Amino acid sequence: MPSILIKTQSLAFHHMIKYPDLQIQEEKLTFIKGPSGTGKTTLLKLLNATASPSAGTIYLNDSSIDSIDAVSLRRQLLLCGQTVYLFDSSIRENFIQYYQYRNLNAPDEETMKKYLDLCTASFSLDTKCQTLSGGERQRVYIAIFLSFNADVLMLDEPTSALDEATSRKLFENLKKYMAETHQTLIVVSHDQRLIETYADAVIDLEVIKEQTQHAAVNTALTQKEA
Amino acid sequence: MNEIIQLNLIQFSSIYLLLLVVLAVMKRAEIEQSKLLVIASIRMTIQLILAGLVLTYIFDNPHPLWTLLYIFSMIAFAFHRVLSKQPGLNRAFKTGIMVSIALSGLLVILYFIGGVIGISVFNPQYTIPIGGMIIGNAMTGVSLGIKTFMSSLASDRNKIDTLLNLGVEPRKILLPYVNQSLETALLPTLNSMLSMGIISLPGMMTGQILSGTMPLTAIMYQIAIMIAICTAVCLSVFLSLTFGYKSLYNHRQQIMLP
Repeated sequence: MPSILIKTQSLAFHHMIKYPDLQIQEEKLTFIKGPSGTGKTTLLKLLNATASPSAGTIYLNDSSIDSIDAVSLRRQLLLCGQTVYLFDSSIRENFIQYYQYRNLNAPDEETMKKYLDLCTASFSLDTKCQTLSGGERQRVYIAIFLSFNADVLMLDEPTSALDEATSRKLFENLKKYMAETHQTLIVVSHDQRLIETYADAVIDLEVIKEQTQHAAVNTALTQKEA
Repeated sequence: MNEIIQLNLIQFSSIYLLLLVVLAVMKRAEIEQSKLLVIASIRMTIQLILAGLVLTYIFDNPHPLWTLLYIFSMIAFAFHRVLSKQPGLNRAFKTGIMVSIALSGLLVILYFIGGVIGISVFNPQYTIPIGGMIIGNAMTGVSLGIKTFMSSLASDRNKIDTLLNLGVEPRKILLPYVNQSLETALLPTLNSMLSMGIISLPGMMTGQILSGTMPLTAIMYQIAIMIAICTAVCLSVFLSLTFGYKSLYNHRQQIMLP
């Protein structure tokens, strides 16, 4: 029985988005889907505390994330955002710079290459990032984040600039790697085919939203009858 | 050395004729700023007449309170000018700027007037003009520093988000921007020190020489004021940005940009 890593309770953001109570299991690949405006990206930001909910609580291993130092929480739940940022220098230099910001020594070149391969970004480490295409940059970006080996990796639309074959290859590799290393993967994506093939669990914010609304209507009716 | 020649009203008025030259050039070059030229000239005239009247009154009736009041209104004005160019700063940031300009301005004035010249800081003849130069330059420096800081943060949003998501402390993310903006704000002052005396005789020195001061005394004052200005700019920008960057993140280590 896999244990529940993250759960939320009555979570809301600025009273515009009300989340149903969610559960995310440990060491699983969970997809989050739903039409735009249902708060998928915001949910990831709430999880890593770069945004604060206007109501409700998020639990990580049964303790409220408010009790965890925000910076160490972010290192534990690593969010690889939708907008790629790479320094205008070589891929090697990008690894080094990001590790410097975390006060860490950059991994050796073999390790860098391993993560680039995993993300189907097998470019030379000397490649200047500013010469890469959008999709290539996206994969290098993910490779850097993956190399930090956080307990949980959260990817926001990781395949938005990738073709189908590359997306599949990426997820094939990611899923295998995360299983080997016992890491948890949370992915926001629109790509139905990817979800069908690779998801261990799916959170569909639209469906749950409708259910919540129905539930609310039902509650209202019940109250009326009572 | 001769005392400066007093201007009578007719002599003085004739300088305005030069503005006709500017107007003519503007017309010719189709620059539609003749209205601005007129308004600027009138405002300058009125503001300086008022300043002259106030200074005349203060010099005739010297009182520590007047000197203090003058200095504090200069600080308030400087603060107002900085904010008008940079709306949308949070409250703590604004307070930080106010405290920084006041603190560094007063500190340098105190050292210069009380320490170096060795007279009472309430002496209006020294404190008001020297204080004005120090605070005015601090204002320009802080303006430039804050503008550079906020605009580079705004254009680097992606980078900042990425670093925050990666689990980098806000302090570590923001400090490079503080240092780089301080450098930008200091450069004009340093550059003007480089060219001083070669390209132009600076304003204060010119004034002193016109009024009959020995050139050697005038250059000593000029060097002193330049070093004082440099210190005030450096301190006020450094303090403003230090207070400022800390106001941009909260206890949950979230960076809040306007």
